[in-house]
Amino acid sequence: MEKVLLKNIGNPNSADITEYKKAGGYKSLQKALDLEPKAIIEEVKKSGLRGRGGAGFPAAMKWTFASADPKFPKYLLCNADEGEPGTFKDRPILEKNPHLLIEGMVISGYALRAEYGYIYLRGEYPDAKKILDTAIKQAYDEGLLGENIAGRGVKFHLSVHQGAGAYICGEETALIESLEGDRGQPRIKPPFPVNVGAFSQPTVVNNVETLSNLPYIIEIGGEAYSKIGSPECPGPKLYCISGHVEKPGVYELPMGTTLRDIIYNHCGGIKNGTKLKAVIPGGISTPVLPPDKIDCPMDFVNMPKHGSMLGSGAVIVMDESVCLVKVCYRALKFFEHESCGKCTPCREGTGWLRSILGRIENGEGMEGDIDLMLSIAGNVLGKTFCPLGDGAASVVQNFIKHFRPEFEEHISARKCVVKG
Amino acid sequence: MLSETAIKELEEIRAKYPTARAALLPALYIAQREFGYLSPEAYEAVSSALGVPKAIARGVGAFYAMYKHKPMGRNIVQLCTNVSCMILGAEKLADLLKNKYGLESGGTSPDGRFSLVIMECIGACGTAPAMLVNDDFYENLTEKYIEEILGKYK
Amino acid sequence: MITVTINGKEIKLEKAVTVLEAARAAGIKIPTLCYHEQLEKYGGCRLCLVEVEKMPRLQTACTLMVADGMVIRTETEAIADVRRGILEFLLINHPLDCPYCDKAGECELQDLVEKYGPTRGRFKEKKRKVPEVLEDPIIVRNMERCVVCTRCVRMCEGVQGASAIAVMNRGGHSHIEPFSGGRYECEYCGNCVSVCPVGAIMSRLHRHSYRPWQVKEKTETICPYCGVGCTVVAQVRDDSIKRVIPKIGSVVNNGMLCSRGRFGYEFVGSSERLTSPLIKKNGILEESTWEEAISLVAKRLGEIKNEHGGNAIAGIASPRCTNEDNYIFQKFMRVVLGTNNIDSTARNGYAGAQIFLENIFGQGATANIISGLSNSDTVLVLGGDPATVNPVLGLQIRAGSRKGGNILTVGHVKGLRNFNPVELNPKIFSDTVLLEGIVSALKDRKGLPGSNPLIEPRIKDINKSAGEIEKSCGVSEKDLAEFVDILAKSVNPSIVIGKEIIQSSGGSYKLLLIAAINYLINARIYLLSERANEQGLLDMGCAPDLLPGYRPVAFAEFRKRYDTSWKTTVPEKPGLSIFEMIDAAKNGSIKAMYVMGENPVYNLPNSGEVKSSLKNVGFLVVQDIFLTETGRLADVVLPSLSWAEKDGTYTNMERRIQLLGKAVNREGMEDWRIVSEVAKNMGARFHYSKAEEIFEEISRVSPLYRDLTYEEIEKGYAIYPYKGEPLRGVEEIVVHKADGVAAEGNLYLKVERPLFHSGTLSRRSPALIKIYPEAVARLSPVTAGSLSLKNGDMIRVSTKTGFMELPVLIDPEVESTFILLTNNFADKGAFSITGYTLDPVLKAPAIDCNVVTIDRVGK
Ligand SMILES: Cc1cc2nc3c(=O)[nH]c(=O)nc-3n(C[C@H](O)[C@H](O)[C@H](O)COP(=O)(O)O)c2cc1C
Ligand code: SF4
Ligand code: FES
Repeated sequence: MEKVLLKNIGNPNSADITEYKKAGGYKSLQKALDLEPKAIIEEVKKSGLRGRGGAGFPAAMKWTFASADPKFPKYLLCNADEGEPGTFKDRPILEKNPHLLIEGMVISGYALRAEYGYIYLRGEYPDAKKILDTAIKQAYDEGLLGENIAGRGVKFHLSVHQGAGAYICGEETALIESLEGDRGQPRIKPPFPVNVGAFSQPTVVNNVETLSNLPYIIEIGGEAYSKIGSPECPGPKLYCISGHVEKPGVYELPMGTTLRDIIYNHCGGIKNGTKLKAVIPGGISTPVLPPDKIDCPMDFVNMPKHGSMLGSGAVIVMDESVCLVKVCYRALKFFEHESCGKCTPCREGTGWLRSILGRIENGEGMEGDIDLMLSIAGNVLGKTFCPLGDGAASVVQNFIKHFRPEFEEHISARKCVVKG
Repeated sequence: MLSETAIKELEEIRAKYPTARAALLPALYIAQREFGYLSPEAYEAVSSALGVPKAIARGVGAFYAMYKHKPMGRNIVQLCTNVSCMILGAEKLADLLKNKYGLESGGTSPDGRFSLVIMECIGACGTAPAMLVNDDFYENLTEKYIEEILGKYK
Repeated sequence: MITVTINGKEIKLEKAVTVLEAARAAGIKIPTLCYHEQLEKYGGCRLCLVEVEKMPRLQTACTLMVADGMVIRTETEAIADVRRGILEFLLINHPLDCPYCDKAGECELQDLVEKYGPTRGRFKEKKRKVPEVLEDPIIVRNMERCVVCTRCVRMCEGVQGASAIAVMNRGGHSHIEPFSGGRYECEYCGNCVSVCPVGAIMSRLHRHSYRPWQVKEKTETICPYCGVGCTVVAQVRDDSIKRVIPKIGSVVNNGMLCSRGRFGYEFVGSSERLTSPLIKKNGILEESTWEEAISLVAKRLGEIKNEHGGNAIAGIASPRCTNEDNYIFQKFMRVVLGTNNIDSTARNGYAGAQIFLENIFGQGATANIISGLSNSDTVLVLGGDPATVNPVLGLQIRAGSRKGGNILTVGHVKGLRNFNPVELNPKIFSDTVLLEGIVSALKDRKGLPGSNPLIEPRIKDINKSAGEIEKSCGVSEKDLAEFVDILAKSVNPSIVIGKEIIQSSGGSYKLLLIAAINYLINARIYLLSERANEQGLLDMGCAPDLLPGYRPVAFAEFRKRYDTSWKTTVPEKPGLSIFEMIDAAKNGSIKAMYVMGENPVYNLPNSGEVKSSLKNVGFLVVQDIFLTETGRLADVVLPSLSWAEKDGTYTNMERRIQLLGKAVNREGMEDWRIVSEVAKNMGARFHYSKAEEIFEEISRVSPLYRDLTYEEIEKGYAIYPYKGEPLRGVEEIVVHKADGVAAEGNLYLKVERPLFHSGTLSRRSPALIKIYPEAVARLSPVTAGSLSLKNGDMIRVSTKTGFMELPVLIDPEVESTFILLTNNFADKGAFSITGYTLDPVLKAPAIDCNVVTIDRVGK
């Protein structure tokens, strides 16, 4: 499959607008501007594009709601918070192919009749900040952003809003709070951002990868696009693989490539030929899978059927040397640190689970700790304000579900059995 | 008080948003740069520059991990220890920083040269273990490599 | 019509409400913690989770809006488990120090756990430890107990509008702090204390002094401080007030209070309270019996009346006393002493301004419902900070701005600065011209309605171009245009008038201009009122020219009405205003003076002058709860009961008549009873046994309170009816222009009216003193800089009238042409160096011309 999202990022100057144009950049924008906004949304609908941020929500549906709302101005926010541990798929677009994103955003902005866009960029990407600022300036200079885009009387302003180290700000309503200069805590829904979002105006929030698909959809048409990869959720997908594989990195593959194919073919198998012990397929919040469950097509529809989720497509591969209790502990440490504190179960539950896991890893586990953790996780799951808490709970549940003996041995041996 | 340049910079940023409040996060970054960390004075400066009540400004600043609330060393070492980095040896690196540079998480080396911040995922998992020193990314770290990197920062 | 089913019970609803509201309406209890009826929805605690058919996840009842056909379950086994689970989470890091916690007994967490469990703990880890913070004199923070419901923060930011506290950090480290982390820099409304469900934010005043369940008596009464008249509940134990709290649902303040109302009650139990009458014997006040004191007063007043006539005697009534007290007092002056020489400190501004405006627009023109302010699309504020003079009224203005209303101010108004006010800041002494400019512009914009023959001719004469304004006021044409545009466009505007503009040179003319604005934009007028019963005493006829019910003494038919009901002849000649009394005392024509519950030697400008004048009075009677500056000059001092110790009524600035409730018992007599005793001693028939009897008489004789009874008032909403037609006898508006007031100095004295003080009462309230401990001189950074003064430097502040030494406090909110002094601390009252001239129309003092010089006297 030809590269779409990572097209010519081999070129050291790929981030430069002239290089981007040489490679055919901004043609789709011209094409798009010849279409009615509605027609563009229609194409996106045909394409079957689903959000790449984790939830896999149909992009066209979100857009239809937002453009149906009579209020103006409307806002388009690009979610570049990429906070889900294990995820580094948006980074190459941001750092090597920024104009693809900008072009995608201008097209989307035009389709939504949104006049203002912000890229909510995580604070941990200082390079991306500089690169995007330069790229945006270039786009302004060439009249591809501003009051009168490509001389077509279309208005779209874009700038980067830098986050400051809060995973929860990847959640779209928390992101909006943070953009508005507040503590990044999720908002009550409804009303949904498509009606009452940034600055109380209709707002669409999309992931970097999602928006970067637009130029291609316009180029080849929704129909053709929908033929790529999984029928139910088509398109090219960025998978980012880390951990114990020979060739970790970001791979652009058709949506629905199986986990096994990704690990063993594309990434050259397990590092130093050791044995696979566990895989987290979609970022740390998604349920861990044991080696016998990796023949699943990596897409939004099939992963749930195989007991996990596609999430952000962040595959973390772990070999025999890894202590899963410790991984689970580290994951909960993360959730505890990132809990925004708004709702009780997540605020208190994550810390409690973390400390129990810490004890077990340090050989201070007690009889009944495992069932206690399951009970606590049960009291969190489905009770929290936003999915972050759910993620924390399901991590514990699934590690125990698939690897209970390892936890039990830690407790009975009163030490970490993997370290030996 | 913020410097002339900072005020100008802030005005430009302010113009990008429909409300002054929305410029708060960028303003706090500027103040952090100017004051070294977000001291009460820094918050007061931001508060009067944007007309945001100072308690509110501090509440917002205190929410985000990348705003610093105590003086920092000359260089900030931000080491990722999240799962991908951890399973590829980030902990050994943390031990090294502790034993060789006297760097505890959140602490500053006696000579004030480095401060260490243990990070959640910094998005370099494919090249783990990784860290940021100030604004520079360093990936595929080893104990040897880290020492040679830190050597560059005075 | 929406129909929902909760626990099998069908509920019909007029409009969409939350599931929680629907359930409560149907008598179904759903536990809540972060929910609070005064606050914005939050949905954080998760205690109110319920099952809703066709919805995959549990839903929070406090945030979910009902939809037709919704089927909800709130009491399933699963839900019970969820609640237990949530409560367990709230308890794991909670100190469980209930035996030691003041909240125990009224703690929402305690009650919830008692009801839903858990019964045993499964938490084997270390609890989070956070030390209690006692750095603030008034508020204790114990963040170990905090459940992060954020009710306090939502109250402080979203309702009070002080934005003084916020949640710091996040996740498990979330906790609430003021900016400093220790002491609060806030309005000390204490409304955060009201809404905290646990013992995390509490008042220090009653710390560890009692248990909530030990409070037997809870008396509903009215705050004694300002003219808003907030309902308060005094919680009493052993005849001492332990705590004062607001009441949700009360008409005026619906659950809100300000610092004075909530924390200013300690004066009641002060050891400095007068206990027995005092009689001056060879220069020294000595305790005496009531009999001796009363008969002495009666005897001397009688003699002086016989010798010099009633008009040689003057009486000063009290805006802190009840209607009943004041009615009896003026009746005593008129009937027993036969003089109309009765007035009060309302003459400082409120009285004159009100009469002036009502002469133009008719009686009741300034009687408007406070809560109405929040629905005004524009509020124009002149001459004072509503948020400090009448704090709870200020909240309504803030609420209006939150709803998208405009706030316009002439001059900088600190209490509204976070509510994007549109400010015009005219040069000193140019506000008259500015107002003329606004009137001219509005006239051109809107034309004359033609409905008021009194004011229209006056408006016709007013013509000032924007250019002139720019020249003489330093207000740009653009700013003026924007300001006028907002005024002209507003649909239901309000105008809020503070004392500063009334107490300025040419005050009556400025009021005319404000009246003109009011007329042109058809607004509602609010006159800020600093004293709880300022309005009531006027209604009661404590004015030299008005009988009860605002009936002019000058009109025979009104006098006749009172002649018959009082069985006497009301003296025909209007009496002396309070300032005329002082002059008369000075020149010796006033031989005796009876002061009830007032402290003129402190509360009138040029107080030094007032003091020497009163020294000149042959026989001075002072009736008060403390030995005030005035009391010390008296020949006889009569101790009276305070607000908390008596029944009666107050009338607030809306003219809402409200019942006081006797909260504590104390030996002694109410003011009306003392006066009646004196009257009886002088042979008059003043046989009243209780306040209610007096009120019955008032409702018989006063056209304003006609047929009103305590029962009626009890029901609330006793706002007396007005026809709104102008008082008879007004043919033209008389004003006094103060032309040629020019800036002679570069620094002028201005009286600060701090949120935390009122004068005599607050001075005896330790809590308020702790918040604002001593008199200071507030200077702008500019002024301080030019004199190279630092905070704390001692300076001598001198005016033509006198001088005073005070520490400097540099305050960026002070305009550089002013120095702000308070009139709230003993021997440091700004009025002691404040000279004034009287506005002949309003009879109010103009105090804006005091040029100040500053000398450093020490560090
Ligand atoms: C706790 C949490 C963290 C999230 N983090 C991210 C993120 O880092 N990047 C992202 O694109 N979406 C993230 N999401 C998903 C967003 O809420 C939202 O669904 C997404 O940005 C929508 O864009 P899409 O439809 O293009 O995927 C997160 C959601 C949750 C609940
Ligand atoms: S689950 Fe609750 S506490 Fe956790 S992040 Fe979401 S809202 Fe915040
Ligand atoms: S009361 Fe509904 S979530 Fe707290």
